[in-house]
Amino acid sequence: MKKSRLIAGTVAGLLLAATAACSSGGGSGDADTLTYMFRGGDDEKAAYQAAINRFTEDTGVKVNVIVTDADQYGTKLQAAVSGKNVPDVFYVEQGSLQSYVKSGILLDITDKINEAGVDLTNIWEYGVNSYRFDGKVQGTSAGALYALPKDIGPFAMGYNRTMLEKAGIELPDEDEPWGWDHWVSVMKELTTDTDGDGEIDQWGTGLNIAWNSQGFIWSNGADFTDPTHTKVTVDTPEFAEALQFFADLTNVDKVTPNSEQAATLDTYQRFMAGQIAFFPVGPWDMSVYNELDFEYDLMPFPAGSTGKSATWLGSLGIGVSASSKNVDAAVKLAAYLSTDEDAQKTLVDANIQIPNRIDTADAWAAEEPRKPQNRQEFLDIAKDYGRAMPAAFTYNTAWYDEFYTNIQPVLDGNQTAAEYLAEVQPRMQALLDESIVASEQAG
Amino acid sequence: MPLTPSTTHAQASAVAGESATRAHRREKKSRLHKDDPRSPLHRTERRWALAFVAAPVLGFLLFTAYPLGYAIYASFTRWNGLGLQVFIGFDNYVQLFNDQYFHKALFNTFFYMIGIPIGLALSLLLALALNRKIPGRTVFRTIYYIPVISSLAAIAILWQWAYNGDFGLVNQVLALFGIDGPNWLASTTWAKPAIIIMAVWKGLGYSMLLYLAAIQSVPRSLYEAASLDGASAFQRFRAITLPMVRPVTFFLVVTNVIGGAQIFTEINIMTPTGGPEFSTASAVWYIWRQAFRYQQMGYATAMAVVLGLLILVITLIQFRLNRRNSFIID
Repeated sequence: MKKSRLIAGTVAGLLLAATAACSSGGGSGDADTLTYMFRGGDDEKAAYQAAINRFTEDTGVKVNVIVTDADQYGTKLQAAVSGKNVPDVFYVEQGSLQSYVKSGILLDITDKINEAGVDLTNIWEYGVNSYRFDGKVQGTSAGALYALPKDIGPFAMGYNRTMLEKAGIELPDEDEPWGWDHWVSVMKELTTDTDGDGEIDQWGTGLNIAWNSQGFIWSNGADFTDPTHTKVTVDTPEFAEALQFFADLTNVDKVTPNSEQAATLDTYQRFMAGQIAFFPVGPWDMSVYNELDFEYDLMPFPAGSTGKSATWLGSLGIGVSASSKNVDAAVKLAAYLSTDEDAQKTLVDANIQIPNRIDTADAWAAEEPRKPQNRQEFLDIAKDYGRAMPAAFTYNTAWYDEFYTNIQPVLDGNQTAAEYLAEVQPRMQALLDESIVASEQAG
Repeated sequence: MPLTPSTTHAQASAVAGESATRAHRREKKSRLHKDDPRSPLHRTERRWALAFVAAPVLGFLLFTAYPLGYAIYASFTRWNGLGLQVFIGFDNYVQLFNDQYFHKALFNTFFYMIGIPIGLALSLLLALALNRKIPGRTVFRTIYYIPVISSLAAIAILWQWAYNGDFGLVNQVLALFGIDGPNWLASTTWAKPAIIIMAVWKGLGYSMLLYLAAIQSVPRSLYEAASLDGASAFQRFRAITLPMVRPVTFFLVVTNVIGGAQIFTEINIMTPTGGPEFSTASAVWYIWRQAFRYQQMGYATAMAVVLGLLILVITLIQFRLNRRNSFIID
């Protein structure tokens, strides 16, 4: 009898444990422990761990860190949400802020941040506004604050300074952008066969349509949507001209690796191998590029018909869970990572981002010695000519992804940009309409 | 929690056991035996039996029936996977009916199944070869089985490199024969075949193992009788081996179709954007993308329900065909 009770107890215990395992784990139950979920490469992980260690030292609040690869982050976070196990503090993308707010997952931190005496005027306005949402419009100074920017990410045009100097080309001006024509003529000069084996092994540039085309489109006076983000405007002549220019770089001007060469060894690798002259550079690239065996620097984005540079300015937010059991500490951690001087210094020194604090940014850009030399370009983008990604402030990104799904024939020169744009506009509009309906129905 | 037919089996036998006990009770009232319902031992054992039966049943209800029911409900809602669910009737189903990407993803998914007969034929040939007493046979068997036990994610990354247009192993080997290989994963023509080749290679060892076992269990007497009648090696294969391994073939076809309909990992790792012009996107990949990238959980669930129904129907057809063609040896 005793024995069987023992077994019964064990079985029951196991069953209980099995069911309990589904509901616990990770958890935000403990009052002086927080969970922080973020993503990033090795350099970023190390830098954030250092900043978090300091936070624990200062406040006595322990932080459990969950870190994932960039492409798994969204899935993991959503799984945590459906498991009602939302981390106290976590990264939130501009593009998913609205659904997280409408579903009641993100905490409105406007008051807490004010109470904590955080000086938001000292943080890039674009970064802070990215996480303001009034229930309809995101990205303006109206609306409640749902996250703080982890950073803002200006995507500058970079160039292989060593290569240009060797070819005797006058270096780009730090303030006046090159026009497209001049840029292309320089690239034609640089696209050559350097070792004389009959095959071209050095190119002017090598751009990715999904990440590098926006600047050309914008600087030509075109945009993906109207300012209210309700109408898709890709079927304009300016847009077509810019997209055609982009495709012609490969097919007509032949200053980039062709699409097969690019698929074989992507142009990011080729730039690092010194085979490519002009290539966009983000602040997160600095930690790797600073170790390359050539000099690189930044320049204003080559400008289209408007004569003004344009490029995108990304951002990732740090939000606080509405179901956190330790709201005060969670807000403190978010504010610490985003705005604290010491924390920011740790992150900036790791060469993974530009300073979030405006008061230290200018000093950072003028610091000696520095690499790249023209760090100021990042700040110019942040202050002046950077823009949000097209889908940053819409409810979901399906309409925007549609733009790229069937674009290959244009890039290969088998279809004209104008033709493609006329064809894709209605499809994008339909998806954008759907996302607007979805947004309204979500609350 | 493994959910096998044994669950229902256990249920059935429990019910049968119960009624038998009742009948038993009516017959033998006088003796207090361990089978008697009034005996304490009987009661304890009965409770135990129920507890054991309850475990898989509860597991099934909790981890299969409930999620399944919930999925069917969710497929009729507009839901972002995070918060509020709004009931919208058949809207999701109407949408997927008109969604050209879903059609293309379904087409791609079934296109990949070309690999199933190829894989089965190859693995049967391999099994025949490795059934002979050739030197190093164990080594070969092991080599062919290694892909089966390797992590699919790791394999997908290796093949991604192997398919690289300029430096990939595949094209280097082709170059030895003077063939200028395509840039496999970047070509709308070659991306699907590339995935099929990889899937065949990955599944070869498993099918081969099952075929080996099946071939070895064919009674030798059949071959001997056939030889005495003057049957050639090919005739013996066609008339004896092939029909005798039929149950294994059937099992492999059914499981491969079910598994193949849910192909995802390879696609997501080797072509993270669904391939050039959506040429490699599979149904599950598209469902995953709708659910986790576009937060269209309701719509994604509707597609998953449709996919599940398709698999069910195809499997039923297979069972029907198999029953018609089956035979019994005396």
